Amino acid sequence: MQALELSRATEVQVSTIRVSALHALAYCPRLFYLEEVEELYTQDAAVFAGRRLHTQLEKQEDEEWEELFLESEELGLRGRLDALRTRDGQTIPYEHKRGRAHRDENNQPQAWESDRLQILAYAYLLESAHGITVQEGRIRYHADNVVVHVLLDEAGRLKVKQAIQQARILRQSTYRPPVIDNERLCARCSLAPVCLPEEARLAHNREWQPIRLFPEDDERQVIHILEPGTSVGRTGEQIKITRRNQPVETVPARQIGQLVLHSFSQISTQALHFCAAQGIGVHFISGGGRYLGSFDTRQGSIQRRIRQYAALSNPDACLELARKLVICRGQGQRKFLMRGTRSKAKTEKLEKAIAQMKAVLKQVPQAKSLESLLGYEGNLAALYFSALPDLISPEVPKELHFAGRNRRPPLDRFNAMLSFGYALLLKDVMNAILTVGLEPALGFYHQPRSQAAPLALDLLEIFRVPLVDMTVMAAVNRGQWDAKADFEIRGKQVWLSELGRRKFVELYESRKQESWKHPVTGYSLTYRRLFELEVRLLEKEWSGEGGLFGQLILR
Amino acid sequence: MGESQNCYLICYDIRDPKRWRKAYNLLQGYGERMQYSIFRSWLTMRSREKLRWELEKILAPEDSLLLIRLSNQCVNSIPAYNRPGAWSNQDEPYRIV
Repeated sequence: MQALELSRATEVQVSTIRVSALHALAYCPRLFYLEEVEELYTQDAAVFAGRRLHTQLEKQEDEEWEELFLESEELGLRGRLDALRTRDGQTIPYEHKRGRAHRDENNQPQAWESDRLQILAYAYLLESAHGITVQEGRIRYHADNVVVHVLLDEAGRLKVKQAIQQARILRQSTYRPPVIDNERLCARCSLAPVCLPEEARLAHNREWQPIRLFPEDDERQVIHILEPGTSVGRTGEQIKITRRNQPVETVPARQIGQLVLHSFSQISTQALHFCAAQGIGVHFISGGGRYLGSFDTRQGSIQRRIRQYAALSNPDACLELARKLVICRGQGQRKFLMRGTRSKAKTEKLEKAIAQMKAVLKQVPQAKSLESLLGYEGNLAALYFSALPDLISPEVPKELHFAGRNRRPPLDRFNAMLSFGYALLLKDVMNAILTVGLEPALGFYHQPRSQAAPLALDLLEIFRVPLVDMTVMAAVNRGQWDAKADFEIRGKQVWLSELGRRKFVELYESRKQESWKHPVTGYSLTYRRLFELEVRLLEKEWSGEGGLFGQLILR
Repeated sequence: MGESQNCYLICYDIRDPKRWRKAYNLLQGYGERMQYSIFRSWLTMRSREKLRWELEKILAPEDSLLLIRLSNQCVNSIPAYNRPGAWSNQDEPYRIV
């Protein structure tokens, strides 16, 4: 790792800094760090509106205008000038801004601090690259249609130099700057859903009331391809689904969040490339309902993963996180059993299991090693699954009852549903991990053994009860299952039939739509958003803003 | 910054077949075609601005483009006074093929 850091350091030294990165730096050092070092870009509406303005300007421009790319090794700066104009023998760089100018006490238009630094940097860069003298730069604010003049003097040059220096230091640092004090800057920042400033502030100060910044929902569809022999391709900006003996269907790509291919469906290389570019997750699930894997496009920079490697190769940190996880899952299981005692059907077994689980949970924080934690977790799971059958109402037909968890292969219908549910859940957890850009193969609790990624298995624990156990139990008690048509029995093994799988996917996906109030951040999100939030909170555990992970416990 | 979506009706008149095809293909990635030169699309603020930018790169000054945001009330009442099948309602958040 040391060698890796060294080579990075030399590489950073030679490359120059973008002027627009200095603009980000003046806005918020953390924003600069996330964009330049961690390579996280999320464009919001304002970013695109700004780009549109530039495209429009390019069409209107007459010959006096020119746009050019400048780089100065000496200054360590590069950038693309919006426009350059010559007036009375003076060369003046122009910058266009979509918004309004800052107004001082006398209501006179002024440049915003970050814009001022940016235009100064352009002017200085122009001087340095062309060897001419530049006296001023101008910023045009289109919203209130004013032009602000910014003089380039010695103080201005010094300011640019200092900013470059600060940017260089930050680029080589492995430490992510803290969240800025000014909350209003975060509300307008395009990176807020990634940086999670609200959650970071909450980690430092539990009393603080967050204003909500995490986007409510990703509205994109999840498409499950269940019919074998279907082929998925790309046509233009659309995803094309071709089924046997059926008309071709096309779906606009912007409306798709995930493609899930069950059993033997085809996907073309063109479609895979397109999905990678559009941020569409592609997942594979076997015909028997086992999670096979995902198309990993390696989002995010190595920085984040290096921090993960560093944190998770520390056994103490792993143990601490694992304890939180076991408590989170155990509490969830226990609370779910307690829900069963609210209604009339209170059984002795249920009450006993709840009491015993409480005793085990008390011991978890004292666990000294991962092995002893595994022991506690095993105890909890055994208690939970022995009492779980008591939640099934007596009206449910006998075939749908069960007596304890079994898998590989599942031996009864209830277990078949649980297994398929966990496969779908693993797919969603994986999707969140890949979106955030963590390394799925390095977890803190599960040891690498099967093909499934340890980090995904770790995170899976949080969601098992609310998304799968509760869904299955509710559907069984509501009598939504047909013991004959929905299952396939081969010898001792029990699988969901095609009809059953279709039904299950529907139940699971609508469960994901339900929203739940996060106990710590205090705002409601749908489960599909909670996956991503939980992964981001986990990532914060090792970047100095921890304490919020693993708090999703049923009430 | 909760990202809520709105329904937009997108209409255009493009004077050149080459540009027309480019714009048409782009719009198909965002929503569905209702009639000739009329698309319907569910957009967040972010995707709306992205689409406007992408279209701006394609269109020439002589082309025209109109985006109309429909309120939820508009969207819900459209099927009430139209021919059947003129307007299908929004898709589910998931789809099973």
